[in-house]
Amino acid sequence: MNAEPCERSRHRKTESGPNDLAAFLHRLRAEMVPAERGTALPEVSNAALREVTWEEGLVDRFVTSARAAGAQVRCLAANDWLSAVQEVLRGHGARLVVAAGQAGTALDDDRAAALGNALRATGLSVSTAPNDDVLFACDAAVTGVAAAIAETGTLVCTSGPRSPRGVSLIPPVHIALVDARQIVGDLFDYFARLDPTTLPANINLITGPSKTADIEGILVTGVHGPGIVHALVLHSG
Amino acid sequence: MSRRADLRQRVAEATRNERVLQAVHQATWRKADAREQSFAALRHADALREKAAQIRRHTLENLPEYLEQFVEKATALGAKVHFAPDGPAACRIITQLAADRGLRLAVKGKSMTSEEIGLNAALEAIGVRVVETDLGEFIVQIDRDRPSHIITPIIHKDRREVADAMARELGCPRTEDPAELTRIARGYLRDIFRRCDLGITGVNFAVAETGTLCLCTNEGNGRMTITRPRVHVALLGIEKIIPRLANLPVFLKLLARSSTGQPMGVYTTLINGPRRPDDPDGPQELHIVLLDNGRSAILKGPLREVLTCVRCGACLNACPAYRNVGGHAYGSVYPGPIGSVVTPLLYGPACDDLARLSSLCGACRVACPVQIDIPALLVALRARAADRQPVGKRLLLSVWRRVMEHPWLYRLGQAVLRHALRDADGGWVRTGRGPLRNWTLVRDLPRPARESFRQLWEARLRDER
Amino acid sequence: MDARAAAGDDARMDVGIFITCLTDTFFPRVGEATVRLLRHFGCRVHFPPAQTCCGQPAYNSGFHAHAAALLRRMPRALEGCEFVVTPSASCAAMVKEHGPRLNGVDAGDIGRLAAKTWEICTFLRDRLQLDIAASLRAREPVTFHYPCHARGIYEVADLQAWLGRLDLRLPTRADLCCGFGGLFAVDFPELSGRMLDDKLDSLAASGARLVICNEAACTLQMAGGAHRRGLPLRFRHLAELLAESLGLMEAET
Repeated sequence: MNAEPCERSRHRKTESGPNDLAAFLHRLRAEMVPAERGTALPEVSNAALREVTWEEGLVDRFVTSARAAGAQVRCLAANDWLSAVQEVLRGHGARLVVAAGQAGTALDDDRAAALGNALRATGLSVSTAPNDDVLFACDAAVTGVAAAIAETGTLVCTSGPRSPRGVSLIPPVHIALVDARQIVGDLFDYFARLDPTTLPANINLITGPSKTADIEGILVTGVHGPGIVHALVLHSG
Repeated sequence: MSRRADLRQRVAEATRNERVLQAVHQATWRKADAREQSFAALRHADALREKAAQIRRHTLENLPEYLEQFVEKATALGAKVHFAPDGPAACRIITQLAADRGLRLAVKGKSMTSEEIGLNAALEAIGVRVVETDLGEFIVQIDRDRPSHIITPIIHKDRREVADAMARELGCPRTEDPAELTRIARGYLRDIFRRCDLGITGVNFAVAETGTLCLCTNEGNGRMTITRPRVHVALLGIEKIIPRLANLPVFLKLLARSSTGQPMGVYTTLINGPRRPDDPDGPQELHIVLLDNGRSAILKGPLREVLTCVRCGACLNACPAYRNVGGHAYGSVYPGPIGSVVTPLLYGPACDDLARLSSLCGACRVACPVQIDIPALLVALRARAADRQPVGKRLLLSVWRRVMEHPWLYRLGQAVLRHALRDADGGWVRTGRGPLRNWTLVRDLPRPARESFRQLWEARLRDER
Repeated sequence: MDARAAAGDDARMDVGIFITCLTDTFFPRVGEATVRLLRHFGCRVHFPPAQTCCGQPAYNSGFHAHAAALLRRMPRALEGCEFVVTPSASCAAMVKEHGPRLNGVDAGDIGRLAAKTWEICTFLRDRLQLDIAASLRAREPVTFHYPCHARGIYEVADLQAWLGRLDLRLPTRADLCCGFGGLFAVDFPELSGRMLDDKLDSLAASGARLVICNEAACTLQMAGGAHRRGLPLRFRHLAELLAESLGLMEAET
């Protein structure tokens, strides 16, 4: 390996600690030229810059965008959710499934329990509170979502007491149940809805399966995250 | 050998590496085209860029206030915020907390900042094994190579090299199939992810209003890194702050499109502190290391615009110079157009020459999502370094200026040039001497016209009707 | 629309040619075309003899004191003309964009010069109301090179529009840099040469042999490279093609 031709600059060595940040900020404030602080923060309202207009069919847009990102998307009547999930799992030959229910999503605790029962009845193993071994060994995970974004075909999964971060990350297949009413139009809409004072520890905006093109620009899916993502969009009837 | 000759030499050598340059051509053309198409599909591309640029500029102008707010909010979420005035301090902070907690196995999401400070070596020196998990960085690591692009680190490698490296270092059966190679790396790294105790990432954006860290990746290694280990260290330059959560989507709409042409990256993760008491997974501790390492000096100067960079790599993909020399020749963690500006600013006058590795064509400025005027910054850097240029060049420019200041000298100069090149073969100079030698290394030079325009004007044009 | 008739004798515009050092030395025919065009459209054309160079090479390399010295003498060298017209967009940009911001240059003087300085094609189109596309003729397919430093003076779309009624073969990347870059061409010749190769490949692939290029520096670079590689590309300024089309000059083979 060649030596780094550019030398590192030498700065004064200082001990670090919180007071040093205060001292640093104090110095920085003093040394920055007040006259050059003229740029205003643009107003947050982004109505003029929206990609997705109010008139568009949000579900159609979501379906198109999610498929373009490599997810597999189906729209169905809400009542058919269970058979749809089973069909997808059968298609993948899944034997061990993680089903993480989350209140306020299309896979709430009732549905998660129903799913567990139905799958066990057909001989599958189901875990609703997976440990590491289960997470790394399972064939698929079924979750709800906190929201979905039509503009980009994005699923939003948040961490919570019963929804580990790893559930939508570690299994090779992720099946997400989306209530059509959860779909917002634009990225701006999603962020406008977030309450800055009550954010969960982890919010994941998931757009399609994990992918890379690092080797010769060839697209490969399923690098570290799920290689297969299903979004089942439920219309309530 | 002087550093100047170093760069010229490195560049000349790099231009002879056909295989690498072909790979770089293919990759950069593809991504530049993808970026262009992707932006053409955006309804309000220019307005978004304008807004993003304004947000970044405003933030930098008020950075002390926003940094303060960020620290307060992040701390309230349970993170521990550290300040590192320079690289060695950052390494000390991170190695200290690793040592204190007996951490042994670190996984890394992609972080140019960590490469800037040499963090891997510092951790390894205290016995912590560091494993890169971004596929490209992983391959760079096991092959003991250097990344050549800030987004796609192995743009210069072909599948044969990757196959060789993986077979040799991982002991797996040799394959050249990218999907198979990826699967092997995935399996290897999954085992590491299960066992690791320290996760280190960079940060794409840090939100002052809420103390949120935003991480944008495609592979999922970033998410693994902030989910699996019990300690997460997030390292970021102080310039990565944005004011409000509602500002994020402006950047998210631009970032992936600029990097790869995708409308959105696969994983955009918002981190709000370490795990909550009721959370089943996530790190117990989140340490945020704010790094200065020369950024505040840039901030106080006239070139602070360069700090608005969001590290998308679009300028590298657009740059015809980068395309024809590859990333290694820059000799810096940050290559390409943005690297030519940032490297001399961070590393000092020894790297001044990088600012001359450009034809100032402006393709980078057109591609930049936050409208950084890189050519103007390069000219400013060249002006700073003018006094340090070789004495021969400075003399030549001085003579040239005198000649140009006096029309009679200028006409004399033209005559001298005409005379010197009059024997040009069929009207073309093929081997030049002196200042023309470098010109004729790679191209011919047309002979000056027998009659200059002003001679033509005097002789005929002026009095023509 | 004949601008001559519209102008009338008393209203003839006073135009000073700013020829630029490279065009003066290597491509006087471009200057000749420029003069003939302006006269044809009713301008009174002058050539202020005290002019030399706008200082662009020094400016781009960071030798700003030298650049300022050359810019300082330009307002006086070009005084007395109502308009200053140049065949080089990059030199026009030097005067109009970079000049006013240089230390050591009188902002007022340069500002006034900048306001009256025009690049030839935009002058014909915007001041003389010429429909360039309608006036151009060519006997063969043409392609074009968009010079990087024309940004802000005219864009790729303008060139494309001006050439739009000819058998125009679009190059794959019209605004790809030719690799000249001023002193860059001799500071990093191998790199400049490779960038040049990419450019020539793009032009050659268009299928046309006549390349419209409005920058003397780019033409030196590309013509030199084409000759070295034996590529049958010829380079002309749009002003030359226009003058030929209007019968003001014989076409060169």
